Amino acid sequence: MGDNRLVGRNYTTPDLESKVRGRAKYAEDFRVDGMLYAKLLLSPLPHARVRSVDTSAAEAMPGVRAILRASDLPAPADIVTDLGERIPANPKGEQALSDEPLYAGEPVLAVAAVDEETAVAAIEAIKIDFEPLPFVVDPLVTLRPDGPNARIDGNCWGRPTGEPAAPIDVQELKWASVDFGEVDEGRLPEGPHQDEWSFGDLDAGFREATVVLDETFSTANNQHHVLETRSALAYWRNGKLFMHTGTQSAVQTVASIARWMRLDIEDVVLFTEYTGGGFGSRATGAVICTVPAVLAQMTGAPVMMRISREEEQYIGGIRPAIHGRVKAGFASDGRLLALDLFVVGENSAYEPQGDASFAGNIVSLLYQPGAMRSRATTVLTNTPPRRAQSQPGGMQGITIMEPVVSKAARRLGIDQVAIRRVNAPVGKAPFGPSFGGGARPYCTSAFLTEALDIGVELFDWETRRARSGQRNGSKVRGSGVSVSTFVAGSTGFDGLFVIKPDGRMYIKSGVGNLGTENFSDVHRVAAEMMGMPWERVEIAWGDTSQNLPWTCVSGGSQTTHAMTRAAHAAASDAIRKAQQIAARTLGGSPESYRVDNERISDGTRSMTLADVAGRALEFGGEYDGHELPDDINEFTTRSATALAGQGLMGVARDNYGVDGASFSFVAGFAEVEVDVETGDYRIVDYLAVGDSGTIIHPRSYGGQILGRSILGMGHALAQKTVYDQHYGLPLATRMYQSRPPTILDVPRNLQWEAVNLPDPETPVGARGIGEPPVAAGAAAVLNALSAALGDDMFRRSPVTLDNILMALENGRPMQEPLTAHI
Amino acid sequence: MAQGDPQATSSEPKGVSRRTFIKGVIAGGVGVSSAAYLFRNSSLLTGRAARTGSVERLVTLNVNGQARRVDVAPHETLANTLRYKLGLTGTKLGCDRAECGSCTVLVDDVPRYSCSVLTHAVRTRSIQTVEGLAAADGTLHPVQQGVIEEQGFQCAYCMSGFLMSAVGFLKKNPNPTREELAHGVSGNLCRCQDYDKILTALERGAELSREVARG
Amino acid sequence: MAVVHDVIPPFQLFQPTTVDEAAELLEAHGDEAWVMAGGMDSFDWLKDRTKRTETVVELGQISELQSIRETGDGLEIGAMTTLTDIAESAVINERFGVLAKAAGLVASPQIRNQGTLGGNVSQDTRCAYYRLGWTCYRAGGNTCYADTPTAVNREHAILHASRCVAVSPSDTAPALVALDAQMVIRHGRRERVVAAADYFVGPNLDITRMTVLEPGDLLTSIRIPAKWSGARFYFEKVRDREVWDFPLVNVASAIRESGGRIEEARVVVGAVAARPLRLLAVEESLAGQLVNAQTVVRAGELAIEGARPLRFNGYKVPLMRNLVQRAVRGGPIAGTA
Repeated sequence: MGDNRLVGRNYTTPDLESKVRGRAKYAEDFRVDGMLYAKLLLSPLPHARVRSVDTSAAEAMPGVRAILRASDLPAPADIVTDLGERIPANPKGEQALSDEPLYAGEPVLAVAAVDEETAVAAIEAIKIDFEPLPFVVDPLVTLRPDGPNARIDGNCWGRPTGEPAAPIDVQELKWASVDFGEVDEGRLPEGPHQDEWSFGDLDAGFREATVVLDETFSTANNQHHVLETRSALAYWRNGKLFMHTGTQSAVQTVASIARWMRLDIEDVVLFTEYTGGGFGSRATGAVICTVPAVLAQMTGAPVMMRISREEEQYIGGIRPAIHGRVKAGFASDGRLLALDLFVVGENSAYEPQGDASFAGNIVSLLYQPGAMRSRATTVLTNTPPRRAQSQPGGMQGITIMEPVVSKAARRLGIDQVAIRRVNAPVGKAPFGPSFGGGARPYCTSAFLTEALDIGVELFDWETRRARSGQRNGSKVRGSGVSVSTFVAGSTGFDGLFVIKPDGRMYIKSGVGNLGTENFSDVHRVAAEMMGMPWERVEIAWGDTSQNLPWTCVSGGSQTTHAMTRAAHAAASDAIRKAQQIAARTLGGSPESYRVDNERISDGTRSMTLADVAGRALEFGGEYDGHELPDDINEFTTRSATALAGQGLMGVARDNYGVDGASFSFVAGFAEVEVDVETGDYRIVDYLAVGDSGTIIHPRSYGGQILGRSILGMGHALAQKTVYDQHYGLPLATRMYQSRPPTILDVPRNLQWEAVNLPDPETPVGARGIGEPPVAAGAAAVLNALSAALGDDMFRRSPVTLDNILMALENGRPMQEPLTAHI
Repeated sequence: MAQGDPQATSSEPKGVSRRTFIKGVIAGGVGVSSAAYLFRNSSLLTGRAARTGSVERLVTLNVNGQARRVDVAPHETLANTLRYKLGLTGTKLGCDRAECGSCTVLVDDVPRYSCSVLTHAVRTRSIQTVEGLAAADGTLHPVQQGVIEEQGFQCAYCMSGFLMSAVGFLKKNPNPTREELAHGVSGNLCRCQDYDKILTALERGAELSREVARG
Repeated sequence: MAVVHDVIPPFQLFQPTTVDEAAELLEAHGDEAWVMAGGMDSFDWLKDRTKRTETVVELGQISELQSIRETGDGLEIGAMTTLTDIAESAVINERFGVLAKAAGLVASPQIRNQGTLGGNVSQDTRCAYYRLGWTCYRAGGNTCYADTPTAVNREHAILHASRCVAVSPSDTAPALVALDAQMVIRHGRRERVVAAADYFVGPNLDITRMTVLEPGDLLTSIRIPAKWSGARFYFEKVRDREVWDFPLVNVASAIRESGGRIEEARVVVGAVAARPLRLLAVEESLAGQLVNAQTVVRAGELAIEGARPLRFNGYKVPLMRNLVQRAVRGGPIAGTA
């Protein structure tokens, strides 16, 4: 489209200057007259019941305005999906406060006072009596026949039953003593489990295999540690709730808040212009925001709840650890003939995460096993809530699988890249089990082999591979490669914008601004299609009273895909209308008109888009939004209705088809250098090559692919939770103990490249990139370590210097294989 | 009525005289403003008059080149004074425990974690925050300009801390290698892990700073 | 029992401007006074509300405590000299490089910009249980939570544990011990000088303290004698991340050589015991020896004699051994490239 090309070019996003000047306001930067301050009382015990609370001394303190208990919170409403499906609210699910705390650090009550010092002093003046209850912080311990349960009524969640579905309920799952026979040898026991699926003939696959491996590997629990904690400011005006809080999704969070507070969606206004990170931990907000909301109701004053870093590490979210047992049979050329995957996932006592169940799906796509069985179990422990973290389930599944693939390659004498290439998904590759005996689902496209080939060149794989394992003084280097994939797109959301008679394009963005720049990037599609230079475009984001369209959740890497489609749909709608307006005004047939350079023209006749907008107002009807499509979401309908009569309106639902499910892929290459005298190692170089379809904004893409690679590296390097199992209490409560990676822990020059081939199943060709890089970052480092040091040096991640040193000293891994939280 | 203004129903807190509230700068941007603060000099808190020898609370701070008169409690940290009494919310609180760097400011041109500095310990020094980087006419500091040119940072919660660390570092090391620059800002954590792009942006900022210095 | 670990409780603040004023204040307030140097240790306790005080004596206004000056015999460093100033000091780098290197590896740049030498050597231990406020021996209770079959004690002591298994977390402390430094302490008008090695207190002597400082004491300066000036120094800090993290094990050494033979040596290891450990047996074994593979190996073996690992800190044994070997050797095992 000539000079108007926006998609695929770098530009300065509209939020950057505010950020750089320090003017960008995050939730806790707001101040309001008469504001009260809320502080939380956290449970000191891993599982307890509140027997009695005496707040008299606290209430008597001047400046204390309200004390909030769990019973003061509304019970959340059922979820109603876009398709009208009702998912019943879980009465045992996570709430903002609890009188039966199920993890140490869980908020029990809140105090609102005129300042924080008063609120905290009041908390210390509250006499609260806890009855200690049985607890457990290790999934394998609770599976033991005599192991404690995290909840009074059990240690796992049942499956939804009934029609309509009843809320899921807690059940008990115990293994027999005999199931634990191999645990001391570091083999994950395979007891009764909850989920199972399979395809193909597993036995035949193993029989045919040249190499059969049986490996156990464990990943760690990892806090999200978003840098901006989930502070929230709430106040009410004329029955509407106004909320300032960080969240990944703007529009979808309004729906969450409405549900938690039992309000109509129109009665919630959310300000979330800037959010300091999400990584899955606040996809649609955080339930803790109901605390200031209800306190504001009780006191008639605005209430600011500043969440401390310690509180954030409890309620902010943790990626669940997974124990995995992999039995894999490989042919002599490296093809994976049979895969038997058994995983045990750890959960908090609250909502179950799908990580353990989804791990198998991801692995089945990435390695294309000829036959596969996936068995998964998730059990509850008295530890903080698990939340999806960037590539949930996929990261863990791939991290467990990759060392097995590397070992097989070495046994077979095959190159590490070659073994992944031969198993890589190509085209519309299948994944998971078939539904009801039919065909298996498949991805829309996969260019992973291209990514591997690019990587081999750029990383100079041959040279680095040749020097792997060569000892030079106290140093030994190793290079590794990993592949990775994750879901990368959803569909069915709405786009909305107005071109006004001033000639400017006013785009409404319901996407959250959590750092992905998608709140702006996706709309470049619409601007380009409309022939609008970027300087003519204004994006409204972050304030849900600004008439925003129904938008996807900014999670699961879906936004780039979903919202470029929505942008494309809205722009197509506006172009169709502009063509009709031009034909009516200037003559000729609508189809002969083209939009470019702020004008619409058929080659001989033309008019400006500003004039088209003026005409739209004259013609009314659908042109200026007085008539709306009937398939857009009612949230969009409300917004569009409010915008009617302002100009040429582009409004449409993404009804484009899609054949397959969208996934993106990454090939990661890492070289490490290990110091065998200390066990310490550094990542010398790293390259990520991404296949995520068309690139919309190269710089932000680079930021995502490398940023998430580093998130993965952190999981390999040092990051984890630590608990004392006897007391059920956390020991790594500070960042110098949980260890998120610093700038000096990563290579000085990370590199990235993209295949940049469009996905054929989506009009813009773009898929998401936020998640696939994570496992590649983690597993490429682990593979580089085993290339340097040999197989069987470690069997869990992170791999820290003590693990390496002890393995070198003793000739075998000395890490306790299956103990949780160490 | 500007967005975000609450219902005007706030009642007077008991036991505190008006005199002890000191109005600070009204925060710019979307129309919320505040006269309420995190700390108050209420009898509730200390229960006694100040002892001989303990500090005088009313001080004049030199912040971003301006003299700012403010009431500072003895136990108040610089981050809290900046954010809650002076309306300078560009400095962020990420951890309040000196292990993330979001609160970094310059004290006499030296990067410090403002969350771990008693305001009274630096009350005679010059303090610079991210709001003080741009020139009086609004021209961005070269390091800020470098960020714009390279689209540095993602969620940007760590950004102001990184900018201040970089500016402080570059004053002593105006021509660093990428490795030296990384060490210079190593006390700043980014959870979006945008380290690579951040370094590129700060390198550009260093280059622009050198150009400005050359005149 | 309510639980909240946020918001510093109010205290009154004294900011003396001279050493005399500070010493007077501390003597007058006794154990009520909390001495604040750079604040990095203090704020962790106070913000968590785990320890409290109503009186803080902040030393940052005493300019006479921030100095590095050459004396007739070595250097005298004011206790409030920042770690950055020490790391960047030309004279310290030239003559006593082990201390500059140690200071330069502490925490992060911002912490070094305000953390002080006096604060760094006097800091409290970082045992997770103790820092969380559990009532252990060190906190005045009668148990140790870290030395149990279920405790996670990856960062704890392998040597000289005595009921308490916490370790000394300082990086500069081993360097000062290796340099035969002297710690100058004021109490009121009296001054006393304590050898660095004697400044640190093990749990067998006093399980509640890391140093000999009593209420009313003020560490004013650290004297480095000329003895080791220009010696062959070695400092290494091993930790998980490259920033912020405390040492898992560190080593500081000063070796005087002549004609290829070691005349005298100091070898000090930190984070393996509650005090920085001067390895006398190792030092004796080095006297008069050539620096060769045998000497190196023997030094390492002697260093770890008597080490008793806990469930999760066994790696500290080979790590300590290897670091001592590096100190004697002068670096890692050399490669060819």
